[in-house]
This record gives sequence, structure tokens and C-alpha cells, in this order.
Amino acid sequence: MSDPAAVPIHVDRLTCRYGEFTAVDDLTFTVERGEIYALLGTNGAGKTTTLEALEGHRIPTSGSVRVLAASPTDRGRVRPRMGVMLQESGFAAELTAEESVDLIGAISGRMDDSARLLDRVGLAGKRRTRVAQLSGGERRRLDFATAIYGSPELVFLDEPTTALDPAARDHLWEVVMQLREAGTTILMTTHYLEEAEQYADRIGLMHAGRLEHEGSLAELVAAFPAHIEFRADPGSRELPGSFERHGADLFSLQTRSPQEDLLRLLRWAEAEGVGLGGLRCTPSSLTEIFRGLERHPEPVVRVGGRS
Amino acid sequence: MLHIARAELRMLWRNKVVAACAVLMPLAFAVLLIVMRDRFGGAGGTIAALQIIVMAGFGVYITATTTLAARRQTLLLKRLRSTAIADAGILGGLLVPVVVLNVVQLLIVLAAVVATGEFPVNGWLVAVHVAAVEAMFLALALATWGLTGTPEQAQITTMPVFILALGAAMWITLTGSRSQVALQRSLPGGASVEAIVGAWSGTVPGTQGLLLTLPTLAWALVALLAAIRLFRWEPRH
Repeated sequence: MSDPAAVPIHVDRLTCRYGEFTAVDDLTFTVERGEIYALLGTNGAGKTTTLEALEGHRIPTSGSVRVLAASPTDRGRVRPRMGVMLQESGFAAELTAEESVDLIGAISGRMDDSARLLDRVGLAGKRRTRVAQLSGGERRRLDFATAIYGSPELVFLDEPTTALDPAARDHLWEVVMQLREAGTTILMTTHYLEEAEQYADRIGLMHAGRLEHEGSLAELVAAFPAHIEFRADPGSRELPGSFERHGADLFSLQTRSPQEDLLRLLRWAEAEGVGLGGLRCTPSSLTEIFRGLERHPEPVVRVGGRS
Repeated sequence: MLHIARAELRMLWRNKVVAACAVLMPLAFAVLLIVMRDRFGGAGGTIAALQIIVMAGFGVYITATTTLAARRQTLLLKRLRSTAIADAGILGGLLVPVVVLNVVQLLIVLAAVVATGEFPVNGWLVAVHVAAVEAMFLALALATWGLTGTPEQAQITTMPVFILALGAAMWITLTGSRSQVALQRSLPGGASVEAIVGAWSGTVPGTQGLLLTLPTLAWALVALLAAIRLFRWEPRH
């Protein structure tokens, strides 16, 4: 386990309960400086509760969270160094976009130029538009602008691209990558797996309040079995391995050694004179791992990584 | 806190419903009282006491409850709490404009009462009770906010206390009844109404007038304790 004082985010056995319901259960992970860490999970997995504990909005039932080597509730010390993009907008409908950024910026403990920031998130033309008149996507961008006001060391992004069109999404990620290049640490949640695949250095997969899997995309994919599938009519011949049969002629195998299993299958087919229709071998993917969360809850798998 | 207060004033001004509730309604009532003062006995103290209760009730109690409920419902409070400012600064920023606006209105209206009638004998005592009434309604707003989910609900949840305070003020000023003094003083703002009427006419001496702040401040204290128990920054889901 990393030294809590040396990493921007340190979560140790975090548990959050609401009455009888356990939203987050014994969660432990760290995020390194300059890293983009994506917290993914099924609906109600506890991602937002985790983020809110880290932002200082939730007091943990047990365990500890440290942000920038301090308690997240120590606002005077921590907040000037971190930006927060909430899951829901939370702006006053009567204020304009620029007034909203000015207000949040002025009490953020950081300095920046609101007009430049609005331009950076693609809202230059909406500076004087009241929040009530902004679309859902524009409000998300406004939210993003307040989170990155003054280029904080640490940024929390809770589903940042929800309600954004593809172009706005790309633009937001462009800005996020610029922040990262400048050394900003980013913890985000998202329902878009492809965003985590493309941009995150490490991914934590949550289900039912627990961290089920954690690692880089390559590490996660490598740690899960590949899938071999084919159609055949083997008759009474015995297949070379523990293939599962689906219906009349479809066979499949989950394997961690696809090369060997595939070679063995091909040799067997040639020797026995059996045709293999629709043969394919697919490696594991984040989507498959994600789908497997609800089907096969397993103990936490940590692959590589820095925690 | 000043940044929030400035934004809050702007929001108050731009939200026509809240602005009407905070500014126009109490002012309309004030004008009505001044114009029809003879029907209320004609005494400046009576008019002033009624105006202070009604204007602070509308301008501070109902407006602050509505404002806080709206800011919580739209998650603005959560957003403000995501910044470096302390909770007290957030609440101060939201509530100070409401109180300042109300005090300015009261000053204008009380000046009109003076201009159309007599000057209060113990003006300082009136000022002390204005402060006590403002504190009471502010604390009651914080407590009522805990029971209020939406700004629309605030129009209902504030009614019992507002009607009780208005009823007490009318009972004391208009009927002149002194048979239930203890009960009158124990009602929200009742003791202050008695003190303001007396301070205006000079029939309540300073010491007694100061003692009459105690029931009003007791309401403020009880309301604050209730507010602490009922307090929540985020909407209940």
C-alpha cells in the first residue's frame, strides 16, 4: 500500500452505509500523481458515493480517505487544490454562465480568467446566457469549466460526458488530456467504457459497493480468459478439451491459454476430419469484464498497477 | 461570503416571484397600513409593530425559507460546498442579503410612519426589537427549511408560524387586550410587539423593554436548536 502522504488520493477500507444499505463496502485504492483513474461500475455500484466521500460531501461510516495528504473535509486546506464536477449541475438558473463561473471561481481559492475558461470549454458564445437557457450539454460544460478553474492539482469528474454530443465529448477529453499533461491528477466515473479504455491510465471496476477488478486496460484484459467459439458436428468423437455445448452444434471455451487450446483444436479437427464452422477466438474486453461483474461476482483481482 | 451575497442579490432580483414576495408584498401591506392608519387606532407604535412583524415575516422568514429550499433543491448548496468556503460563509452569503434588504425596507417604511405621525419616544428600543425580530425569523427560517423539501412547499410550511406571529401582533395591537399577557408574550414576536408599541409611545421603560427581548430571543434559540437537528445540505432522495 502506498504512503497516504505521497499520493493525491488514498482510500483505505472505505465503507459508507445509508441505514441498512451499504453503498460502499471496504473499498481500498490509490491514485498516483498525474494519473487518470476511471472508476467504472454497474448502476448503484457506489461510484458516486465514493467520489462524494473523496470530495468531502459524505462522511465515511468506517475506513479512511485522504486527498492531497489531508482529510477531504479540511476545506481550507484541500479545496483550493482540487476541482469538482458534480454528477448533477447545481447552478442558479438566474445567473449567466459567466456569473456562475465567476461565483464558483471566486470562492474556489484559485485564480483564473472566466472568459478564457468558457472559451476553452466551448461556451464563449454563451457567456451572457442565463443557466436556465442552457442545454443539458452546455450545463455539463459549464460544470467542467468550474471544476478546472485555476488548473487545480486534482480534479474529480463524475460522469463528465453525460448529455454531451460526440464533438463536445471529444473536446472535453482534449482539455482533460491537456490537464493531465500539465500534471493534474484526475479521478473520474463514466458509463462510457470506450472513454475509460481510451483515456484512463488505470481502471477500477466496482459492483455492489466493492472494487471487483483494478488495473490498466491491458492488465485487466490479459487477466481474463479469451473466448473460442465454433460450429461442428463431432458425432461421437470426443472434443480436445472441456468445451461447452450450446444447442445442436455450437461449442465454446473460456481459456487463459488461447494459443495452445486453438492449436490443439485445429490438430484434432484435422486428424478427425471434422469441419469447424465460424471458428473465432476473441480476447477478453472491458465490456466483457464489465458484463461479467453482475454474472460472476468474484473476489477483487488486482493486476499490476501501483497500489 | 461577499461573492455569494452579491450573487444572491442578483438572483433575488431576477426571480420575479421571490422578489415580489420579498419586496412588493410587505411594501404593499405597509402602504395599506399607513393609508388606513385611523382604522388601526392611528397610533404610530401600533402601525410600526404590525409592519415590523409582517415585513420581517414575509421578507425574512418566508423569503429565507424559500431561498434556502430553492438553493438546496437545485444543488447549488452542494456546489458551493465543493469550494473552499466554510459552511457559515455559505449560509451567511445566502442570508445576509435577505436580512439587509428587509432592514432597508423597514427603515424606509418606518420613516414613512414617522413622517406621517409621531417620532418614537424610545427609538433605540424599537431598533433593538427590530434586531430581535429579524433574528427570530431568521432562526425560524432555518428550522422551517429543515422541514421544507421544495421552494413551493415553503409557501405552506411557513404559514403556521407566520399566521401565529401575525395573529399575536394583531391581538396585541388591535384589541388592546391585556388579560392574557403571559400568553401574548410567549407567542412568536408577541413580546417584541408589546415593547415596540410601548417604546413608540414611551409607556414601556428601557429596562422592561430590554427584558421583553428575552421571549423573542428564546424563540430564536429554540428555532436554532431545531434547525441544527433538521439541517441538511442536500435534497432527500
